[in-house]
Amino acid sequence: MLALTPLPSGTASAPDAATLVASLNRPAPARTAFAEARFMRVLDKPLVVSGELAWLGGDKLERRVDKPQRETATIADGQVTQQREGKKPRSFSLQRAPQLKVLLDSFVALLGGDASRLSESFDVQLTQPANHWTLTLTPKDTRIAKQIARIAIDGAGNEPRCMRMEESDGDVAVDLLGELATKMPAEPTREALAALCAGTP
Amino acid sequence: MRTGTRIALLVGWLLALAGLGLLVAHNLKVSTDLRSFMPAPSTPDQKLLMEQVGEGPGSRLLLVAIAGKPDEQLGALSRGLANGLRKDGAFTQVVNGDFDLGVLDDKLLPYRYLLSPTLDSESLDKDFLADQLDQRLDDLGSPAASLLKGLLPRDPTLEVLKLAERWTPAKSPEVRDGVWFSTQDEALLLVQTKAAGFDPGAQGQAIDRIRAVFNALPDSHGADLTLSGPGYFSVVVNAQTRGEADLIGKVSTAGFILLLLLAYRNVPSLVFAALPVATGALAGIAVMTLAFSEVHGITLAFGFTLLGVAQEYPIRLLSHRRAGETALESVRGLWPLLLTAIASACIAYLAFYASGVGGLKQLAVFTITGLLAAGFTTRYLLPYLLPARVRDVADTPGLGAFRRWLDALPRPRWLPIPVALAAVLMLWFAPGPFWQNNLAALTPLPQDLLMKDARLREALGAPDVRYLLVLQAHSADGVLALSEKIEPTIQGLIGKRALDTVELPSTYLPSLAVQRSRQAKLPDRGTLDAALSAALEGKPFRKDLFAPFVDDVETARTAPLLTPGAFAASPLGQRLAAMLMQRGDHWVGLATLGGVHDAAALDVLARETGGQARLLDLKEASESLVAEYRTRILHALLAATVLLVLTITFALRSARRAWHVLAPMTLATFMVLAVERVAGIPLSLFHLVALILAAGLGLHYALFFERDTGDPAEQRRTLHATVVCVISALLVFGMLGWSSIPVLRAIGLTVSLGVAFHFCLSILMAPHDASKK
Repeated sequence: MLALTPLPSGTASAPDAATLVASLNRPAPARTAFAEARFMRVLDKPLVVSGELAWLGGDKLERRVDKPQRETATIADGQVTQQREGKKPRSFSLQRAPQLKVLLDSFVALLGGDASRLSESFDVQLTQPANHWTLTLTPKDTRIAKQIARIAIDGAGNEPRCMRMEESDGDVAVDLLGELATKMPAEPTREALAALCAGTP
Repeated sequence: MRTGTRIALLVGWLLALAGLGLLVAHNLKVSTDLRSFMPAPSTPDQKLLMEQVGEGPGSRLLLVAIAGKPDEQLGALSRGLANGLRKDGAFTQVVNGDFDLGVLDDKLLPYRYLLSPTLDSESLDKDFLADQLDQRLDDLGSPAASLLKGLLPRDPTLEVLKLAERWTPAKSPEVRDGVWFSTQDEALLLVQTKAAGFDPGAQGQAIDRIRAVFNALPDSHGADLTLSGPGYFSVVVNAQTRGEADLIGKVSTAGFILLLLLAYRNVPSLVFAALPVATGALAGIAVMTLAFSEVHGITLAFGFTLLGVAQEYPIRLLSHRRAGETALESVRGLWPLLLTAIASACIAYLAFYASGVGGLKQLAVFTITGLLAAGFTTRYLLPYLLPARVRDVADTPGLGAFRRWLDALPRPRWLPIPVALAAVLMLWFAPGPFWQNNLAALTPLPQDLLMKDARLREALGAPDVRYLLVLQAHSADGVLALSEKIEPTIQGLIGKRALDTVELPSTYLPSLAVQRSRQAKLPDRGTLDAALSAALEGKPFRKDLFAPFVDDVETARTAPLLTPGAFAASPLGQRLAAMLMQRGDHWVGLATLGGVHDAAALDVLARETGGQARLLDLKEASESLVAEYRTRILHALLAATVLLVLTITFALRSARRAWHVLAPMTLATFMVLAVERVAGIPLSLFHLVALILAAGLGLHYALFFERDTGDPAEQRRTLHATVVCVISALLVFGMLGWSSIPVLRAIGLTVSLGVAFHFCLSILMAPHDASKK
C-alpha cells in the first residue's frame, strides 16, 4: 500500500503522479461528503456550504448542498443544471463556468484513476512532504487558465482529503472531503484550513 | 459604290459604335435589386410587402449551420464566429445561444432599470434588496458563482441577465456546449445583416465576411459552413442567373455563327450583317443609361435575348439577294415588309412598357430602341457595305425540293377550325391552376435550398416569412405603446397555441410612458444608500462593494429617456430600427411572428385595437399583387393586339391579306398556351412576355409567307430566310428551355414552342400558290 511506503519528500516525477492517481480509482458511483469555504474578494467573510459530491460515472457529476440551503447542481453533457427548492431549475453551459469544467475534469480523472486524462487537461505536479501528498493541477487550456490559476489536492495514502481551487483573481475555494468535511470550523481562515489539509491537527 | 467610300462608311459606322460603347461604359450603372423585376405595389399592404421583401427584419436574417466536427469543436467554432461577427459593423445581431452580456454597452448599461420590467412590480427598497442579496449569496455558494461575481458590484439584482433572457428568441434550439445545436448535430447561429436582403451585392459581401471570419478560425478546416435565408438566396439566384445566361449566350452565339456560315457561305457578308444588331444593342443600352439612373442586370440579359429578333433583318436581306441585283435594290424590294415587321415587333414590346414594372419598362426601352436602330441601319447603311456579288441562296441544294414538298401539303381552308377547337379543348381540360400567382415561383430557387431553409428555420425558431403583425400609430412612441398594449393578448394567443413566438418592438424598447413610470420608481442616492445599508445588515458583503450599483441607479434616474434614435447606435437599437419605420405622417411597427397555426385567431388583435394592429399575410399580399399585375399586362396586350391588327391591315391595305397574316399568328399563340397548360404548367408573367416575343417572330414568318410574288426562286429565298430565322430562334430559345432557372425556362420553352407553331401554321395557312393553280 502506498500509504505504508515511506515516501521521500520533494517533487516527484510524472510516473509517481501516475501511480498515485491510479491508486485513487473508485468504482462509480462514488460519493463523498464535502464542506466548502469560499474566500472571495466581494465578501468580508468566507462563505461556507456543505453537502455531498458524487461521481455518477462517465462525465456526470452531482454536487448536492445541504447547508445552508438545499441545492443540487448536476453536470452532464456540457450543461450545468441547478435545482433549488421551490424554484425553477436553471441551466447554463459548462463553457461559461470554467470552475466546474475544471472540477469535472479533475474529479472524473481522479476517481477514475485515469492519469492520462488528467494530464490531458492539466500540468500535473506531485509533492510529497512528510506523511501526505499534494497534487497540483494547472489548466493547460489558456481560456480556462485565465480564470482558474490552479487546483491543489491534498491527501494521504489513497484518500484525497482536501481540494483547493485558486482563481486568477485571488478568490479561493477550499473543499474538505470525506471525514474531514465534519471538521470545517464555524469561522474558517485560510491558515486553519491549510493546516487541516496538511493533516496537522 | 466605290471602294474608298465603302471603307469610309465602314470606318464611320465603327467609330459611331465605339462612341456609343464609350458612352455606355461611362454611364452604365448595373443594379442587382431583384425587386425591380417585381410588380409595382399599389395597396399599403403591397407596399409593405415590397419593403419587407427587401429590407424587413426577416429578410435580413441569415441562418448559419456549422457541421462536420465533434460537438465540442463545433461549439468553439460557433463562439469564435459569433465573436468575430459581433465586432463587424456589417451585422446588427449575432445570436448562437451563448449568453451575450455585452448587448448593452457601458453607456447604455444604466438604462437597464428602464428597459427591464423589474420595477413594474418591485421597487429598490430595503426588503427587495435584502431578498436579492440573499439570493446572490446563494449564487456565490453555487457553481454559478464565477459567472455572476463579476456582475455583482454593478448589478446586484441581475437586470442584465433578465434582459439577456428577454432578448433571447423565445423558441430556441437545444443548447450543447453552450451554443445552439440542431437535431442533426450542427451548431446554429442567427445573423442579421445591416444590408437589405434583396441587394445581392451587399449580401454577397456580408456572406464573404462570414466565410472569411470562419476560415480564419483555428480548426475551421474540415468543418462545413452552411448558409441560408433570403439574402443568401438572392446571392445564389443572382450568380446562377448570370452564370447560366452567360453560358447559354456563348453556346448559342457559337451555334448561330456556324448556322449563318452554312447558310450563306460568305464571311464578309456575315461580319457586316453583325453590325446592325451590334448597333441596336449599343443604342438600346445607351438610351437606357440616359433614361434611367440604374439599369438592371436582368434587363440586360433578357434584352439581348429579345434583340435576337433584330438578327432577322440582316438575315432577310442576305437571303433575298439575287445574282445581278445590288444589295440596295434587294433591300428596297424588301423594305415595306421589313418596316411592317419592325413596327409590329415594336408594338408588341410596347406592352412591356405598359406593364408598369420597372425592369420591364427598361426592357421595352432597350428592345424598341434596339429594333429601330437595327432595322434602320439594315435599310440605310448595311446595303452599301455588302459585297456586290453573292451566291443566290435560291440555288441552295435541297431547298427547291423542300419548297415543293411544302407546296404539295394539303392546305384545307377549314384548317383553322379544328386547330382552334383543339386549343379550346386542351385549355378546357388542362390540369392544375391556370395562373401562377406565387411570387416566389418567379424568383427561382432549387428545391433542396428551400428544404434546407425550412429545416434550419424550424430548428432556430426563426420568424415565419409569411406573416407579420403590422402596428400603426402617429409616432414611433405610439407604436411602442401599442405594442405594449397588445402584448398580453398575444401572450394569451401563444398560450392557446395560435402561434408559437412573437417579437414585438416593445421587447427591445419600452414606450416613453413606461420608461417614465419606471424612472419615477428609482430612489434618489440618499434613499438608496440607506436602503442598501439596511439590506446589507448582517451579510458578509464587503462594504462599499455596491458603489457602482448606486452610481448606475442615480444615472438612470436622471438620464433622458431612451428613444429609438438614441438607441440606434447599439446593436439592439439597429434591431429595433428594422422593426420601426416612418410612412408619411404615421409610423409603422413590424412584429415578427413564428409558427402561426391559426391565423384567423389573430384577428382578435385588429378588433381590440380598432385595426391599428393587424396581421399581414405576405403571401396573400403578393398574390393579389401578381394578379393585379397580370390584369395590367393583359390589358396592355389587348391594346397591343388592336394596334397590331390596325397596323397590319393598314400596311397590307387589305383585310383579307391581314387575315392571312394575323390568323396563323393568333392560332399559334393559343396553341402554345394550350400545350403548356395541358403539360400542367401554370402560366406566369414571364410566359406572357415570352408569348409576345414569339408572336412577334411568328408575325415575321406570316408576313413573308403571305407575300405572293409568283416567282418560285423568290419563294425559295423567302423559305431560306425563314428557315434560317426559325433554326436560329430554336437554337437560342431551345437552349434557354434547358435552363434550371424557372424564368429562363419559361421564356425558352414558350418561344421555342411558339416558333414551331408559328412556322407550321403560317405555311399551312398561307394563301394558295396562284402560279400552281
